[in-house]
Amino acid sequence: MIRRFIGTVFVLLLPVTALAADATEIMKKSQAAFLYPGIDFKARVVMRLTAKGGQERTRELTMLRKNYGLPGGNQKYFIYFFKPSDVRDMTFMVYKYPAKDDDRWLFVPSINLVQRIAASDSRSSFVGSDFTYEDVSGRDVESDEHKLVKDEACGGRECHVIESVPKGGTNYSKKVSWIDKASLLPMKEEYYDVRGELDRTFTSDEVMDVEGHPTVTKRTMKNLKSGHRTEAAFEGVKYDVGIKDDFFSERYLRNPPKELIQ
Amino acid sequence: MFAFIRKFSLVDFSVNHPWLVVIFVLAITAAFSTQFPKAQIDTNPKHMLPETSDVRVWNDEVDRTFGLYEDVLVLGIVNKRGVLNRETLGKIVRITDEILKTKGVAARDVSGFPTITNVSAEDGTLKVAPLMAEAPKDEAEIGALEKTLFENPLFVDHIISKDGKTTALYIPLEKGANGKEIADRIREITAKEKGEEEYYVAGDPVARDTFGADMFRLMAIFAPIAGFLMFAARYLMFRDAFLSIALMMDAMIAIVWSLGLLIGLGFPIHIMSSMAPVFLMAIATDSIHIFNEFYFRYRESGDKRAAIIDTMRTVGRPVRYTALATAAGFVVLIFMHIVPVRVFGGLIAFGTIALRILSFSFIPAMFVFAGEVKLKEASAGEDIGTGRTSRFLRGLAHIGVHRPKVVIATGVLLIVVAIVGISKIRINNNMIDWFKHGSEIRTADRVLNNALGGTSLGYIVAISDREDFIKTPGAMNYIKDLQRDLEKLPNVGKTFSVVDYVKRINRVLHGDDPQYNVVPDSKETIGQYLFLFSMSAKPSDLDSVVDYPFQRANIWVQLKTWDAKAMEDVIEAVDAYKSAHPIPMEFKPAGIAYFNLVWNSTVLNDMLKGFILALVAVLAILILNFRSFKCALVSFAPLVFTVLVIYGFLGFIGKDFDMPISVLSCLSLGMAVDFAIHFMGRFRLRLSEGGLEDRESIANALLWTAARPGKGIVRNATLFAAAFSVMLLAKLTPYITVGAFIVAMMTLSALMTMITMPALIILMRGWLPKGGSI
Repeated sequence: MIRRFIGTVFVLLLPVTALAADATEIMKKSQAAFLYPGIDFKARVVMRLTAKGGQERTRELTMLRKNYGLPGGNQKYFIYFFKPSDVRDMTFMVYKYPAKDDDRWLFVPSINLVQRIAASDSRSSFVGSDFTYEDVSGRDVESDEHKLVKDEACGGRECHVIESVPKGGTNYSKKVSWIDKASLLPMKEEYYDVRGELDRTFTSDEVMDVEGHPTVTKRTMKNLKSGHRTEAAFEGVKYDVGIKDDFFSERYLRNPPKELIQ
Repeated sequence: MFAFIRKFSLVDFSVNHPWLVVIFVLAITAAFSTQFPKAQIDTNPKHMLPETSDVRVWNDEVDRTFGLYEDVLVLGIVNKRGVLNRETLGKIVRITDEILKTKGVAARDVSGFPTITNVSAEDGTLKVAPLMAEAPKDEAEIGALEKTLFENPLFVDHIISKDGKTTALYIPLEKGANGKEIADRIREITAKEKGEEEYYVAGDPVARDTFGADMFRLMAIFAPIAGFLMFAARYLMFRDAFLSIALMMDAMIAIVWSLGLLIGLGFPIHIMSSMAPVFLMAIATDSIHIFNEFYFRYRESGDKRAAIIDTMRTVGRPVRYTALATAAGFVVLIFMHIVPVRVFGGLIAFGTIALRILSFSFIPAMFVFAGEVKLKEASAGEDIGTGRTSRFLRGLAHIGVHRPKVVIATGVLLIVVAIVGISKIRINNNMIDWFKHGSEIRTADRVLNNALGGTSLGYIVAISDREDFIKTPGAMNYIKDLQRDLEKLPNVGKTFSVVDYVKRINRVLHGDDPQYNVVPDSKETIGQYLFLFSMSAKPSDLDSVVDYPFQRANIWVQLKTWDAKAMEDVIEAVDAYKSAHPIPMEFKPAGIAYFNLVWNSTVLNDMLKGFILALVAVLAILILNFRSFKCALVSFAPLVFTVLVIYGFLGFIGKDFDMPISVLSCLSLGMAVDFAIHFMGRFRLRLSEGGLEDRESIANALLWTAARPGKGIVRNATLFAAAFSVMLLAKLTPYITVGAFIVAMMTLSALMTMITMPALIILMRGWLPKGGSI
């Protein structure tokens, strides 16, 4: 009888701690599936930036990424711009470290200058889009408290709904993510601002299997406050291209090898 | 015959069935008052122009293209010992944090020390980041901040004053947010901070929404006070509380009817229509002529019923024609452009007609209920031979009758002086000036305009027909030079454009060398700089100065005054620059300063056009009334004289011809002519009763008119002056203007009627038609 009672208490207590642990675990796995698949990765990204009034800007770029260490660890990014046309040949490189500020370099072809760029705020806009640097390259899972709120269906899939509250020092109050149980990719995310009002929403609009990795090939970030939105399409996605380490250097910033960026 | 039935049957009916008439009138009033809870208030001057008006369509397009906000508040923080110290900067960060959390604030684009984008180079690293994300911890950090601030022309005069004592936080509001509520919330936030800093909240939305709130509060206070004063003045004149109340009810009923109709038809109450109660109260005082004559008649005959009917027969015509003239002055407004002006014209015209219907029904009915004993006592003083007022008035007319040439010569001289004054009138409008000099809002505006680039904002949009044209060095340098040219204007505090970013980036990428603070000479470089900037800055930083295809650039022009004239000067300067330096680009003004310029000149033009139309309409009514062009012209003279003298005076004292003044000009027409209608009508009636038309008889008839109906005129003018003098104590200047204007107008037109009309009639007696018959 007593044993059964203790057992009941134990069962009752279990979910509280286990759920938090589960949630953090799910977020880690999700980040690995979303931002770290493969050893390296390459895609042609077309971004459509649309203002409230319907005006559009296009960004077209080739993005190369290589992982260093385990998922959640260091990464290097290399970006070559095709559009807008006057920035063709501009290149951009990021060394990403989860626990400290990124290193960023930009090559400005018209004055033949490689410029180091400070990365004081990972919440700032990525190339003028509604995505932040953090949205593109990931936020350290440990900097938020995660909680599994419930499971529910989302867009024909079974999803975990996870609430993540930043431990401090950022400009939003809460993020709610819908993580597909099967692929572990985020299908939808909602960001709430410091007033607790819904500020931005992220949606995965198309998921495709590429070389065994479920990949979000179309995604949208909407800023509900400004009415601005950005749609990003990933084309020609390839994993494990074999990018060499010395590729991520000033020399290649100035002169990227054609076969890699095309 | 028809006129006889229409006029007299209503009076007779009312006298015979007083209860029925009173109950019927009150029932209609109750029906109209059921509409009141539905009242909507709209104090936004923007809504003076329809959404489809060119300026609103264009301004909306500019707002959309550049992601701009219609409404921006400015919070000024002043520390006499300089704001660049740890305590003040700490407060700035705390206050900004709180403001960002305030509902209605467009947090993403609040611009001040903690949030503004700063492009700088430190140790070879380009940094595009908020200027001061957290308060500096030591003197070294403060020193660095100071250096950054004063080295960057984008910041000086914008977020930091040259003397370092004032900083500003620009707070854009989401659509539909109430500027006064947010300003109040900001004041609460700053009140929590102790210390020597002073805080000032300025900007168009706070002025506009505070004005709206104050306006209704003022109307709620002043309309009853004015009503009570009129009541008191009437009581002193007629010594009968019941009839004084009846006279006041007349005005109240007309106000309820008109506002009830306005609300019932679904119109919101605008700044202009909020003045309707006061206007109608003023117009209602015309019924005093009925009281005036009734008291004379009653004293003479002692028969109340006969006195009522005789009174109405005698004053009926002038009362009807003064009402017609007043209504005409407002009816012409219905044909104007601006919806609230049209609504206002219709509203007052309707109220005037309602008042007159009441004069012929409700008022006679109420006379029936008046106590005979009280009336006898009160009317005893009404004798034109012995009454003091009457003797004085007779004396005034005496001057006109016996010294006509001197009177007219003086009048002509005054008119000449007035015309000189009118030539000095400056058409302008400034909403901030609607608050008193020492008011919180005007003080805030003054302090910030003295210290920084200006609280009023206009835009000049440069438009090319080619994409990417703005990125060319030609366009960039042109915009830069245009900015320098505009900055020479006295009221332009600061200008700002995409070029300022390009120059800044050029300098920063070249080791912060001031020599590179110029536009680079290739379009490619400019494009790459802007791209680099857009990679890290807030999206709105670039969006607010250039459109997506780089075909349009937005030049921000900060103005140090809300004078509509200031933006007019900017537009003129742009046009002059463009014709001196041709370029395939078009430059179009926009923004709140431009809107204020347009709406205010539209209102003024409408009112001016209305004024001229009303002059013609009033003259036509005078001709219709007197069946004589010459008599009409003579009666027209006091009106023209009054209007000229008042506007001449405005010109001399340097008061701008603004929106409130322009609205008053229509009222002045309808009111200033009233006295002349009464005077001329009664004079001709008196003259025809005597049968003789020699100089002696004319002079006697004039003196009688001045003494008897003249007393009504003076009573009317006194009532007016009493009621409107209260408004001189208002805290919003347009109401003070209304008060002063009406007091002056009443006094002047009464005086002119009593002195110049007799003089004119005496001088022109040979020219005027014979036979006073009407």
